[in-house]
Amino acid sequence: MESLRKFHPQTLRLIALALVLVLTVVFFTSQIDNYFSPRMLNRITSSVAVILPIAIGQAIVVMTRNIDLSVGSLVGIVAYVMGGFIGQHQGINPAVFVVLCMLLGAFCGAINGVLVSYGRVPSIIVTLGTLALFRTYLVEYSEARTITTDSLPKWLVDLPSASVVEFGGFDIRVIVGLAVLAALVAWLALTRLRAARQFYAVGSNPDAAVFASINEARVVLIAFMISGAMAGLAGFIFLAKFGNITVVAGLGFELKSVAAVVVGGVNIFGGSGSIVGVVLGTVLVDVIDNSLIRWAVVSEFWREALLGLLIMLAVTADTLMTRSFGRLRGSQN
Amino acid sequence: MPAPILELRNISKSFAMTAALSDVTFDVVPGEIHAIVGENGAGKSTLIKIMTGVYQPDGGEILWEGMPVSIRHTQAAQALGIAAIFQEPMVFPDLDVAENIFISHRDRGTFMDWGKLYADADALIKQLGVALDAHRPASGLTLAEQQTVEIARALSLKVKVLIMDEPTASLSAHEVERLLSIARTLKAQGVSVLYISHRLDEIFRVADRVTVLRDGKHISTKPIAAVTHEALVKDMVGRAIDTFAVKTKANPHGDTVLSVKGLVRQGVFSDVSFDLHAGEVLCFAGLVGSRRTDVGLALFGVEPATGGEISVAGKAVRIISPQQAMEQGIAYVSEDRRKLGLAMTLPIFSNISLPSLARFLKAFGWIDRTAERKVAESYRERLSIRSPNTETHVGKLSGGNQQKVMLAKWLETKPRILIFDEPTRGIDVGAKAEVHNIMRALAKEGVAIIAISSDLPEVLALADRVLVMREGRQMGIFDIADCTQESVMALATGQQELAKAS
Repeated sequence: MESLRKFHPQTLRLIALALVLVLTVVFFTSQIDNYFSPRMLNRITSSVAVILPIAIGQAIVVMTRNIDLSVGSLVGIVAYVMGGFIGQHQGINPAVFVVLCMLLGAFCGAINGVLVSYGRVPSIIVTLGTLALFRTYLVEYSEARTITTDSLPKWLVDLPSASVVEFGGFDIRVIVGLAVLAALVAWLALTRLRAARQFYAVGSNPDAAVFASINEARVVLIAFMISGAMAGLAGFIFLAKFGNITVVAGLGFELKSVAAVVVGGVNIFGGSGSIVGVVLGTVLVDVIDNSLIRWAVVSEFWREALLGLLIMLAVTADTLMTRSFGRLRGSQN
Repeated sequence: MPAPILELRNISKSFAMTAALSDVTFDVVPGEIHAIVGENGAGKSTLIKIMTGVYQPDGGEILWEGMPVSIRHTQAAQALGIAAIFQEPMVFPDLDVAENIFISHRDRGTFMDWGKLYADADALIKQLGVALDAHRPASGLTLAEQQTVEIARALSLKVKVLIMDEPTASLSAHEVERLLSIARTLKAQGVSVLYISHRLDEIFRVADRVTVLRDGKHISTKPIAAVTHEALVKDMVGRAIDTFAVKTKANPHGDTVLSVKGLVRQGVFSDVSFDLHAGEVLCFAGLVGSRRTDVGLALFGVEPATGGEISVAGKAVRIISPQQAMEQGIAYVSEDRRKLGLAMTLPIFSNISLPSLARFLKAFGWIDRTAERKVAESYRERLSIRSPNTETHVGKLSGGNQQKVMLAKWLETKPRILIFDEPTRGIDVGAKAEVHNIMRALAKEGVAIIAISSDLPEVLALADRVLVMREGRQMGIFDIADCTQESVMALATGQQELAKAS
């Protein structure tokens, strides 16, 4: 135990998380026939590809002591609206299209952000409201029609089966590469970018942030815009992955993203968290989610219950850890 | 004397009906240590908030290097070169020392240069003449170290006027010395230090000039050599010192109602032992962080003790929840009225009846609202709570009146033992005297009182006996006749080691 003291508690937590992930994979390999296969890898990685960008945005919002529950509805709006848009503008440059998706997301995120940071409404209320509002808007806008693969350009339809690299039957798909790229950029930004420290500062001690002349409102607004943009990216990946988009696109992603973030060790009370943790958390949540579908022992309807349980477990474990850590250093009178 | 760097002229500021500052004028010259003293509620905090751009004055003007300026927000204060450090340091617990120091910088490039960050942080810390590892996370730092981080942050921003608000209130003797030497180092480097403290001895040691505030008004600004200890206190309290220390004669002690032997809470405090008699006031003195509050919370069962014995009226009891404490007749009037004490959005009468609601029930568990109001009304008169009636929401009352509501609420539980935590923190001088009188009157009626207080004059005015704590240890119990401000302080700060209990 003594040698463990050398590590920062955050690092210890990441190591523990990685261990849990390995154990989970080992467990399901022993339970499900032909589990460790290219098919399963693809199934899980392309599912991760949709959730990972959302989880990254969610993580940044949570770091600032807020939460974004509207991400699922945002994915739906972006996938549907932009799916309709590209049906009319087949010739648009793919890169421009991705940027447009992210801009639409960022715009919606800005609505959340302005209400939270300048309207002073708690984020849980604002985003609970926009969760419903965005979804209802989508239902109205779509008039219950479905976007089908027929209306999409060929490059977009082919995208989910395109690979970046292949090795021994296993391959990494382009959409997965896109999500990994987003994670890489976010990781570099949060560790290297000076301005990014403000997300941590605002969440760590909002009062001190005021005295350190950090514009708290602007930092929170930007966090929500990033979350929106990331949901936009996820919306694009969702559109590419499924092709057929209905009004329920992205339903329940808020639960999944919050689970990924807290399991990944982002403090729900703000101030700390790492992208490495978020990636591990997302993968773990998705591995469990996707494996349960194939596991004969429990009904797949248990998936949501398990997500809920994971959130509570992770936060409880963190709270206990922080408390005992706090006791070690002796809190104030 | 050189031209002032910062001048405040006729500054006024009111909140709702009360004037926090009226017509305050004073100046700060480069490279001086300028002390500001005054009782709680004299307007020191408001003044600091105006200088740091948190509040805007209602009237008057601020001059910086001779030019009128308006300090609209904290960024503006920072841009001028004004920074403040507080009793409770403003650090980011999740960031490390170096990050904390440079968090406000906009001019260090887009990307983090971690190597340069730590090198620069080390250089600044060295400039202050202290030792601190720039890699340590701020969550593990002591209060003194956190202050060092804040001072280094201010220094990194080319601070010209550094405001220190009660910087030594929670420090040990050794740490105080280090802080004073930092203040002198800053002065030598041309920084002006505004030093706000209750500890007059420190002011006489470091300050060049001293300004006294009382009830929001500027009373005097004099060179330190031109004032005496007594004159300063007289200016602060507005009356001669002999009336200042007036005290009701100690009550003859009644029966032992509470007996505590070897009380321990693992890792928090240990070996606390005392007897509490009916009709006496026992004060817990010590610095912030000396764990006095934790002893109180243990007796009330909020954070139960992990060892030791508690007996109430000669009977051994186990208290692991506030419910059990209340059954034993113990009540706890907490320091943090907002967090632990009162429901701010409820009217006065609901707050008062809350802990004893069971006695206000009619048939079928309905609440007897008439009885609730009647009882509340009687407390309103007895404690002179200033409000139109008992329907007023507690959040709308002043601090002193909130404190009285809280007291009423616990008195209604008919306690034998009343624990007060900082009974007069943040309430004005007049209300303070009223609260003291109420406490003495309760003791006279036979209630046993424990008062936890950081305010030494308050301790000396209230207590029959004083229990001094330091870093979770009981340093001794004294009869009030044997106590002076100096002897208590010496024990509380560790200048003097363990004394014999009397």
